[in-house]
Amino acid sequence: MDILFLLIPLSVVLALLIIGALGWAVWRGQFEALEQEAERILHTD
Amino acid sequence: MSTAPPSVLGNLGAMQASPSLLPTGSMPPAPGHAAAWAALDEPAEWEGFSRPVAGREGWWESYLAIDGMHCAACALTVEEVLNNLPGVEAVHVNGVTATARLQWRPQATRPSAWMAAVRKAGYGALPAGDLMLAGRRMQAQRVMLWRWLVAGFCMMQVMMYAAPAYLASAGEITPDIQALLGWASWVLTLPVLLFSCWPFFSAALRDVRQLRIGMDVPVALGVLIAFGASTAATFDPGSPWGGYASYDAVPMFVFFLLSGRLLEQRLRDRTAGALEALMRRLPDSVERQDADGSFRAVAVRRLVAGDLIRVLPGQAFPADGAVETGESRVDQSLLTGESRPLLRRVGDGVIAGSHNLTSVLLVRVQRVGPQTRYAEIVALMEQASVEKPGLVQLVDRIASPFLIAVLLASAAAAVWWWPFGPAHAMAVAVSVLIVTCPCALSLATPAAMLAGAGALARGGVLVRKLQALESCAGIDTVVFDKTGTLTEDRMDVIMAHTPVGVNRDEACDMAGALARHSLHPVSRAIAARFPAPGWVASEVEEVAGRGLRGKVARLDGSGQQYLWLGSASFCGAPVPGRGAPLLQAHLSDGEHYLAGFELDEAIRPDAARAVSSLLELGIRVQLLSGDTGQAVAHLARRAGIEWCFAECKPEVKLEHVRRLQREGHRVMMVGDGMNDGPVLAVADVSMAMGEAVPLAQAKADFIMTGNRLLTVPALLVQARRTRTIVRQNLLWAAIYNAACVPLAIVGYMPIWLAGFGMAASSLLVVANSARLARLAPEQ
Repeated sequence: MDILFLLIPLSVVLALLIIGALGWAVWRGQFEALEQEAERILHTD
Repeated sequence: MSTAPPSVLGNLGAMQASPSLLPTGSMPPAPGHAAAWAALDEPAEWEGFSRPVAGREGWWESYLAIDGMHCAACALTVEEVLNNLPGVEAVHVNGVTATARLQWRPQATRPSAWMAAVRKAGYGALPAGDLMLAGRRMQAQRVMLWRWLVAGFCMMQVMMYAAPAYLASAGEITPDIQALLGWASWVLTLPVLLFSCWPFFSAALRDVRQLRIGMDVPVALGVLIAFGASTAATFDPGSPWGGYASYDAVPMFVFFLLSGRLLEQRLRDRTAGALEALMRRLPDSVERQDADGSFRAVAVRRLVAGDLIRVLPGQAFPADGAVETGESRVDQSLLTGESRPLLRRVGDGVIAGSHNLTSVLLVRVQRVGPQTRYAEIVALMEQASVEKPGLVQLVDRIASPFLIAVLLASAAAAVWWWPFGPAHAMAVAVSVLIVTCPCALSLATPAAMLAGAGALARGGVLVRKLQALESCAGIDTVVFDKTGTLTEDRMDVIMAHTPVGVNRDEACDMAGALARHSLHPVSRAIAARFPAPGWVASEVEEVAGRGLRGKVARLDGSGQQYLWLGSASFCGAPVPGRGAPLLQAHLSDGEHYLAGFELDEAIRPDAARAVSSLLELGIRVQLLSGDTGQAVAHLARRAGIEWCFAECKPEVKLEHVRRLQREGHRVMMVGDGMNDGPVLAVADVSMAMGEAVPLAQAKADFIMTGNRLLTVPALLVQARRTRTIVRQNLLWAAIYNAACVPLAIVGYMPIWLAGFGMAASSLLVVANSARLARLAPEQ
């Protein structure tokens, strides 16, 4: 079970990274106007 | 690709010179729009809707409100159109809020070019300075969302670390692994505590500094105690807190709480949306006539009374004024609740913030800026929304002793449970702190009343005092004033009769053609009732106080006659005796009597329906008037009112309302707000017609902005619904607290459940109130 001493701290670091990624997504406006982005692919330009 | 050739749009000169670039068809005359937009090209105007981009020399960032977007695809189209313009970058169009943000370089492009491009794509664009403020609010929303996401994610992760402790049997997890899990949980709870909980801590700190006790104090205290106990348990397993390392409770509780606040904020934003839509209606620039007679675009804030402005179809009126040339339909729905487009002819008034729909109007400006009715309405709505009605004040008074009781109860619970282990005692105390939130209690009334008042404002009733909405629900008698309230300020032909042998239609048309030449109320009524398009009158002269005479003929000149229209003696023809009490006018050709008209005050078209709706609601309807008995009785019959009182002087009206009140009735008085101030003041609830007086001076609790009497029953229905919902909310809050506090004190309420219960409870109250955001359908 020694591997837990590596995996648990690793999971903590990962969790902190994900929090940062969520912040990045929020500030890039990823959670606003959700439908608009979904329809972008259908839009000919 | 691009819907607009960039080479042309980029060149401002070409755009102004070429009207063909602008949409044709139903939107005449196109060059006017270009001129209006050209005003925005003045660097002095940029500050209104743009600001320089920090760190990007020579670039500006602007905000536009986009009209006519219905779906996400529309937003993409607009974005593409703007992106294809030279000198425009970083375009972001939000389909939900109908706004656009873009960066641009003055060397390469001008605001008028984007406006034209957006319009060519089939949408409307308005520069929106207020969106710069909205940008700040959006930032606040983003921080809130991030706090919520951090709490949610940490909650899941911490729960995973906690799971082994729940699943494993005693001794299965070695102490070093247990300590490792504890530290990992501690590290991930820290962001929740420091970042997600910050709003609670800062609010609690503010309360404590001002020696008050607010709703966030117990929450902050609960979080701190739970986290402190868990920390002690993790880093000093030998301490008395040894058994209490339940980190999973804190993030979970915070997550529920933030979820509640987030949803509450969204619901409230939707209610506030109506007010904001109202505030954004004024255009930024307008075409004003210069001394040389040509029209030039100027900023709205430079307008003064007396200016002549040109308002194109699709534009909003920037100021109050009177139509000088043209005839068009206007949409005043947001300001008065009147949903049908209204016809506006020469001489009619138009109000700032309403929209011109069908054709070009030249308007003489009468009032600008804060004097407009639009500004008055916005100010009144703002004022009413910050005022606290009596029930709210009562709840506020209760809330603080209630919170102190909560703190004492949780301390008492901690003391009681202390012998069973400090860790358990702490857990109970924290649950008590968290579960008994007076949030639901203090939201119960204002949430419902604001939602109710917002819906009324959209339906044509301004609520000046939220307090009155409360008393309005108990009304059992509605007293109407007559002149200007049940009736309009004009006459109406209610009967036309002709002697045997005279062509009735022809006689009426001839009277109408003659009456067109006079401004006397009787003539106006006859001309309005019989427009007589096929007839003209000439050589018309008016004899003051008696009547009109002149030549009347068909358009082709045939059938010419010299006619008299006026009082019986003026006409000079024998008038058949009719004992009607009403005002009469007669038409004759000097020898023969041709037609007679009976006129009465014009009753508002929805008066009878309003009265019957009120009667259906079980309300007594009365009519008070200073007018003579016959006229009042006649009008009461037409409106369907059973009780009427004529020849009432103001003090008699006052005494009448007081007597009703002494008999135990709760009286609502509906008047024009001008002559009946004292009666309005003495009635339990008062409502004034918004047409007659400046709104700020009207001494009434409610103001009817659209002069539609049907809003009276609608108001009473809405007030009753509001009362029902406030009662439901208060009842729920009371039941919730009565049930949960004892459960928490006896230790049956884990911390996470306490947090969930509290968030769900306030959410339920807000969602219940949101049902009031729409008026009940009119019967």
